[in-house]
Amino acid sequence: MKQQPNPSLINLLLREAGLVVKDHSLLLTLLIAPLLYAFFYGSIYINKEEENVKLAIVDDDQTRLSRLLQQNIDNSPMVELIHFSNLEDAKEQMYEGNCQGYMYIPRGTQTNLLSLKQSNVVLAVNAARFLPSSDILASVQAICLTVGAGVRLQFFEKSEGMTSAIAMQNVMPVSLDYRPLFNERSSYGAFLLPGLLALILQQTLLIGLSESVASERQHATIAGWLKGGASMAIWGKGLFYLILFSAYAFFFLNVNYSLLNLPMRGNGFELSLLLLLFLLTLIPMGQFIGSLFKSQLLCLQMMAFSTYPIFLITGYSWPFESLPLPMQWLSMLLPTTPFIQLYTAVVQSGASIWENPKLLLHLILLWAFYSSICYARLYSLRKRTLA
Amino acid sequence: MRSTCQIIIREWNRILHLKVFYLVMLVVPALLFSFYAYIYQEKEAKHLPFAIWDDDQSPVSRQLIFLLEQRDALKISKRLYSEAEVKRAIQTGEIMGAVHFPTGMQNDIYSRHPTTVTLYTNAAALVPAKMVYKAAAQVIITGSTGIVLKKLVKTGMEPDRAMALANPIKLDTYQLYNATYNYQEYLVPGLITVGMQMILIISSMLALNYEYKTNTMSQLYELAKGSAFRVIAGKTIAHLVVSWFNFILIAFILFPFFDIGVTAATGKFFALYTLLSIACIGIGMFISALFKDVMLSGDVALFYTSPAFVFSGFTFPRWAMPWYDQYYATIMPYTPFLDTFFKIYYMNLPFYYAQADLYKLLLFPFVMFPTALILFQRQFNNSKNEAAAEPVLN
Repeated sequence: MKQQPNPSLINLLLREAGLVVKDHSLLLTLLIAPLLYAFFYGSIYINKEEENVKLAIVDDDQTRLSRLLQQNIDNSPMVELIHFSNLEDAKEQMYEGNCQGYMYIPRGTQTNLLSLKQSNVVLAVNAARFLPSSDILASVQAICLTVGAGVRLQFFEKSEGMTSAIAMQNVMPVSLDYRPLFNERSSYGAFLLPGLLALILQQTLLIGLSESVASERQHATIAGWLKGGASMAIWGKGLFYLILFSAYAFFFLNVNYSLLNLPMRGNGFELSLLLLLFLLTLIPMGQFIGSLFKSQLLCLQMMAFSTYPIFLITGYSWPFESLPLPMQWLSMLLPTTPFIQLYTAVVQSGASIWENPKLLLHLILLWAFYSSICYARLYSLRKRTLA
Repeated sequence: MRSTCQIIIREWNRILHLKVFYLVMLVVPALLFSFYAYIYQEKEAKHLPFAIWDDDQSPVSRQLIFLLEQRDALKISKRLYSEAEVKRAIQTGEIMGAVHFPTGMQNDIYSRHPTTVTLYTNAAALVPAKMVYKAAAQVIITGSTGIVLKKLVKTGMEPDRAMALANPIKLDTYQLYNATYNYQEYLVPGLITVGMQMILIISSMLALNYEYKTNTMSQLYELAKGSAFRVIAGKTIAHLVVSWFNFILIAFILFPFFDIGVTAATGKFFALYTLLSIACIGIGMFISALFKDVMLSGDVALFYTSPAFVFSGFTFPRWAMPWYDQYYATIMPYTPFLDTFFKIYYMNLPFYYAQADLYKLLLFPFVMFPTALILFQRQFNNSKNEAAAEPVLN
């Protein structure tokens, strides 16, 4: 009987394409989910930052100064004031969720200032929600400092007889020039979107590829896949995903970045190299994970719970240094950790990938690590299957 | 009633013996939720690498550096000498921020010339940037106020009056319900409940259709005497009881162990959690009755549940999202759950304040269970006919 030849790289690539077309779950995960998620999740942050966060105000002073304070707060894009006649009503509105805090200007605020006594104004924010409360705090604090500087200016001009220019010099002896680099408006969308797109790319690849390998085991087609050897199997199946996800990466960086108005400050060629290395690391990782499952459904279920933990320990949303030590070790085993640092440095700050050789080396080592464990696992599976 | 009880016990048996159930319903919660709580063990981000670019080299700049060193959030790890160096160190991730004291700063302060201190942060990493800003700005602003105060006292003004002029409007701030902006308190309950929502839907979406996979549908038909109601009621109770075990894990093991949560609101949390569980099981049953193909129902459940956290407005408020995303958020049970959770748990308010959100959450079981019932009864009847036809065909 004539023995069938071992499949070539192209045969395995075409075999994988056929497998994906026939399996609706893979089709959904690999062809529809990446695009749908990228547009769907991306659209949430299209406005980049929140505006007009509602703050209740109770003004018991009813003076020129209290009105000036309110006017300044209301004019800031971040805060929108809702007026109430008493504190109880203001608190009720916060409890109902109609505003994110309340501010109280007590009677005698202006009188105190005119008689050179410090005035206390109360600001209570609902810190159960971090973003709105911290935005309100920052805005109101800045405005109070500015109004306070205005009060000093008037005092120096009127009581000390200084000229406006001299008084101005005395008002703020040290002023703070805040420069948030690489995200000038400190917007939440500009911070999160680049990482989110990379995560969508990673998770759809990992879920799809691991499902595909689990499906080979479930449907007993693994022998056909591994016939040409473990290395050929990794490259053959992986090539399909490399081509597909390189296309997605190109699409995200051009179409989604443009639609979401995200800057790409770095070198496109270097970014392509970095993405290629990242995908090359994810491919054996996904194949290794998939090879641990005998059921495609179970693989899907388990992988569904991987997205948030991976995202939370990569140092993107929470500083790496603040993770417990074992979490830092675990995080260093994920390709996402060095990749996301290099990637954000390239796209957001325009850095070169060669400026941080440690991270690049880290990613290369992870590529070698996942390739090795994937090879060892598939080699042992092949031996078992052939036996 | 007897057959419903038998279905409940049968379902528990399936949950304990089938990997697709016990891994998701019993193993994942314990591992995943402990993992979430452990990530934020530090509670606040501390010792963020920070650089000093001191062109002044004066006692005043050294005093400000000393004050910066006292801030827990900052760890002064580098001395730099130009803006290019600052940018480069931020780009390579060596530092999260830096401060620049300009040449002649002390002289300017003493000679009544305003001076400007520059604070740089890496705003591409927003969380540490905000923390660095908060810590460093407080030092600079306090320093500036102190200088004004000193100058005014020097002119012979009484300290009280000088203080009133240095800081005329004292803003007394109260960060209610999380005074220290503790990330573990804030994020972990949210991550756990969203994880629970996924667990409930991803397991109950297999409650009905997985019977085909295990070839046990006809056995179930006999046990339920052909009633889809008995099947759905029995399986719902079985899944709900398992979700209560997970509640015990969350509220009585994890929260006390990691010292998080609002103990006084545990009773209300239980009631709300039960409501969320019923809503999620209802959705799971609906998906399970709609798709015979378990992989397809898995994909649908995954697509439906995974965006819940970001769409719910937990980290980025819903009012800042485009209108279509705000509408999409309303079709997920986690959204009204979260709005209620904030009020009755984090803020420990009575249920009265969350009535509207509770009604929205109640809509899910009211719509999902009857729909699942209709769909499954049809499938159930068909499966009986198929079972009856099989011996004839054979």
